[in-house]
Amino acid sequence: MKLLVIGLDCAAPELLFGDERLVNVRRLMAGGCHGRLESVIPPITIPAWQCMVTSQDPGSLGVYGFRNRADHSYSTLDIVNSKSFKAMTIWDHLALEGKKAVIIGVPPSFPPRKVNGICVGCFMTPSVDEEYTHPPAVKDEIRSLVGEYMVDVKGFRTDDKEWLRDQIFEMSRRQFTVVRHYLDNAKWDYFHFVNIALDRMHHGFWKYMDSRHPDYEPGGPYENAIADFYLHLDEEIGRILAMLDGDTAVLVVSDHGAKALQGGFCVNEWLVEQGLLVLKDYPAEVTPFGKLNVDWSRTKVWSEGGYYARVFFNVEGREPQGVIAPGEYEEFRDVMKAKFEATTGPDGALLGTLAFRPQEIYREVRNVAPDLIVHFGALDWRSVGGVGYGGVIHLRENDSGPDECNHAQFGAFVLAAPNVPELGKIEGARLLDIAPTLMEVGGYEIPETFQGRSLFGGSLAETGGAAGVSVEAEEVIRQRLSGLGYIS
Amino acid sequence: MTRPVKKVIVIGLDGLEPKIVEPMLDRGDLPNLAKLRAEGGYSRVGTTFPAQTPVAWSTFATGTNPGGHGIFDFIRRDPQTYLPDLALNRYEQTSAFLPPKAVNLRRGTTVWNLLNAAGIPAIVLRCPCTYPPDIGKGRMLSGMGVPDLRGGLGTSTFYTSAAGETAGESENIVELRPESSGTIRTQIIGPRNQKGSGPSANLTADIRLDVDRSKRQVVVHSSGQPRTLEVKEGQWSDWLRIKFKIGMLQSVSGMLRFYLVRLEPVIELYASPLNFDPVTPMFPISAPWEYAAELSRKVGTFYTTGMVEDHTGLSNGRFGEAAYLDQCDQVVREREAMMLYELDRITEGLFFCLFDTPDRIQHMFWRFREPAHPANAANENADVTYSHDGSADMSRVIEDHYRRCDTIVGKVIEKTDDRTLLVVLSDHGFNGFQRGVHLNSWLHEQGLLKLCDGVSPGEEAGEFLRKVDWSGTSAYALGLGSIYLNLRGRERDGLVAPEDARSVQTRITQGLRGLIDPERGDVAIRGVVARDEVYAGPYAAESPDLIVNFAEGYRVSWATALGGVPRGICEDNIKKWSGDHIIDPALVPGVLFMNRQFNSAGPRLLDLAPTILDALGVPKGPAMEGESLLS
Repeated sequence: MKLLVIGLDCAAPELLFGDERLVNVRRLMAGGCHGRLESVIPPITIPAWQCMVTSQDPGSLGVYGFRNRADHSYSTLDIVNSKSFKAMTIWDHLALEGKKAVIIGVPPSFPPRKVNGICVGCFMTPSVDEEYTHPPAVKDEIRSLVGEYMVDVKGFRTDDKEWLRDQIFEMSRRQFTVVRHYLDNAKWDYFHFVNIALDRMHHGFWKYMDSRHPDYEPGGPYENAIADFYLHLDEEIGRILAMLDGDTAVLVVSDHGAKALQGGFCVNEWLVEQGLLVLKDYPAEVTPFGKLNVDWSRTKVWSEGGYYARVFFNVEGREPQGVIAPGEYEEFRDVMKAKFEATTGPDGALLGTLAFRPQEIYREVRNVAPDLIVHFGALDWRSVGGVGYGGVIHLRENDSGPDECNHAQFGAFVLAAPNVPELGKIEGARLLDIAPTLMEVGGYEIPETFQGRSLFGGSLAETGGAAGVSVEAEEVIRQRLSGLGYIS
Repeated sequence: MTRPVKKVIVIGLDGLEPKIVEPMLDRGDLPNLAKLRAEGGYSRVGTTFPAQTPVAWSTFATGTNPGGHGIFDFIRRDPQTYLPDLALNRYEQTSAFLPPKAVNLRRGTTVWNLLNAAGIPAIVLRCPCTYPPDIGKGRMLSGMGVPDLRGGLGTSTFYTSAAGETAGESENIVELRPESSGTIRTQIIGPRNQKGSGPSANLTADIRLDVDRSKRQVVVHSSGQPRTLEVKEGQWSDWLRIKFKIGMLQSVSGMLRFYLVRLEPVIELYASPLNFDPVTPMFPISAPWEYAAELSRKVGTFYTTGMVEDHTGLSNGRFGEAAYLDQCDQVVREREAMMLYELDRITEGLFFCLFDTPDRIQHMFWRFREPAHPANAANENADVTYSHDGSADMSRVIEDHYRRCDTIVGKVIEKTDDRTLLVVLSDHGFNGFQRGVHLNSWLHEQGLLKLCDGVSPGEEAGEFLRKVDWSGTSAYALGLGSIYLNLRGRERDGLVAPEDARSVQTRITQGLRGLIDPERGDVAIRGVVARDEVYAGPYAAESPDLIVNFAEGYRVSWATALGGVPRGICEDNIKKWSGDHIIDPALVPGVLFMNRQFNSAGPRLLDLAPTILDALGVPKGPAMEGESLLS
């Protein structure tokens, strides 16, 4: 069976499942199973899509976010790209059986991956003037199809919402044109594309829609912008469904969900206040962490900002000027975890922050992992890395430009295939379960390296195409003819 | 001088038999039809090969032989699987993820297509093979071919508190287990669950039955409309609209009626097949799609399935003749109401309305006309309490119904003016069906059909030609009198080389012609025609290779239709379905009345479409084979 994965970056289950106008999504829901999909920690585009397609957790992949420490020095973090991931993806496994794949915009896909088929770069592609496709000729084909292909909306953290909305819709339409072209014209057994436009819609327009957002105003000009975008996606999905033959499984899936962003928690400002991060001189204005004059000999903890916090300890013998004795490391980490989890909001109430030890949440911890991964207010709050807010810990604005939502731990999936029973809503599905589930649905053996489990637990394997006429076919005929009268 | 025709009204009375009509006309029993005969004319009308309702009405609609419209039998077969299927329509699923679309297997150009192209509207009510509906200008309510909610032509449910009841034809059995309080919790069996099996094979809706013996009724509590429905003993209930959840998000609604057979000694409750609700059909059953809803608003809701009469309830002995006639009466009243609603507002163009019920009543009551019919000995418990005019004579039911039809025609005549052409016709006649012929068993006897090693004709051969050894089989029968060659290049395991086809056909034709029923000594088969003798046109290649023309009193056996190979060649038909018409078409012409004089020298159904077009000043279609009867 052919496998088609329709990736909707950031699709939120409550939006995807909650709008009955999404008739094509509903059809898939009715024809198979669907539910919330628990993402990895952190629930971030990088590494979440890779975790999905390799069925390995971030620790096993050794990638903990967009930016990772290359070593234990204090230098700034490296940005990952497609070469940062070595584990075999589902399409790599299928390629071993000679199966063809089309991969469009699955992060990270720059530089373009050498797949057995076609690969089109993701939003991390610096420019479509670069070689962003495999094979390279695909680039010209795409240009002749849609003109300038849009991998992302550059500068999507903007206040010019009218422009932003138009750009996002245009990016999405161009991508669907390309997707339809290759659905029809490429040879594929596995087709996977990721629509990043939805993520940009959420980040740009969430506050207009969600009354839980602090800046929500009812009846705003963009109140329906996100819902309209879901309708657009549904319509495009309908066009795709009409192109598929009966021997195709369809998975609509997101890497994480979305939620209203309450504000920013200035993690380094807070660490300075706690005396854990010591600066040689406190900056006169807001300064990114990388430009701060840190007194490493007296610093115990520092953090990277973003949607979540990557917290690092300055450990003796590990970091150049480490101060925490290795023997005290775990105890110190326990204390820090407790401190983070005790952080409060502007009103003094507990934020409900979650702090994770990588060794506890990952099967393996490769490369240089954070010492703690922190979700402020369970990601109601993002993590602000800069210092210079004058002791202010809670920000309303984002430090990197307007951004209206954070990621939520639960994404969504809808899976329909001829061999998938109508199970309705399924609870307990996790991101790492997707690849093994697809392998089972497609009739492939599940690789041992996959850490998730198939949602069907092998139950689909037994239904092989029996030779001759099945009892079921006869039953259908009997049903079709029943009541005719002329027969009995 | 007659004025030019502005509207043509065609009333179809399915299966009216000339040999019953003519003496009744002469006796003055059918005054309105007699009036038409006097003012315009009457003739027998030639039907199609074979004389089956969907074939005949499709020829009526297109003016072509079946080779021009593609409907040859109720049942067709897939040469790749040898499996039978309903021939009227199929469901096409272009994508596994989008809902299937009904596709009409009747093709060709219809009289209403041509009228629409000329800018003339048409209203077509319940013509067979109009599902899915297709009309440009005008209105259409689909007829035979519309499925019930389970996708068949009609599956009923029989609820009984007796244990061990076995299901009859096209029905589900649900055993009722009353609680000590007298309440019964049970379910309505809904559509098949596409992917379910075992206990989840069907979608269901929970209902609660409260038995009230003092009022002689059962009250059905459900989530449907109405929430509580009273079902009186010996009566049909009102409609219950009920929803079935498909998966988590979608639901499909249908409607049904109950008939409470008895409360003692066991509770027996019959539930009709689930009809599409005309307001919210699962698939469109009208054009424009909201037309069915409009009709139900104007004339009340109505049965929507292709075969609306609950004949299986009577066949299976779930209720008696009276209950069946009550239900038929309801159907006719509904049809009449929608007909009159339209007749009151049309000003021009074509109006067509079919009354199927005479066909369905004759199928079930013919046995009372023939004392020697084997069904009479087998069904001695016939419901003789029925009394239309104080008489208990069941043999009068058919004539009574003809009189009913005549009354309807009278109401139509009132709606005509001097610019109306009124046509009343039947698509075929009727005959007794006393003996069934096992065509596959005959083919087996002749060595033309081989069964797998060790299998003999009989139950062990099963149905669906399951135990046929195709490597040794030259021909097989499926459907209602159709024989197919196992042709190389066409059938999956084709044996007969194309160059040998003619000789195999000849062998079958000669062998079956004049076949004598060994037990009765009567001729069972008058002849066999090859496809190229009777079919021509773009779809002729889809037809059976041979069509069997049975003699009066005979028909293809029940088992043959679905590919059974029973023992023996002939058997008694002991079913209440005791009359039929799938015999030599020459023996079962229909009737044709018009309010204007017409050329009554051997009119055929083929001539009706050209006649209607001629009356409205539209040239007949290029494929139409008949001629206008008006010239």
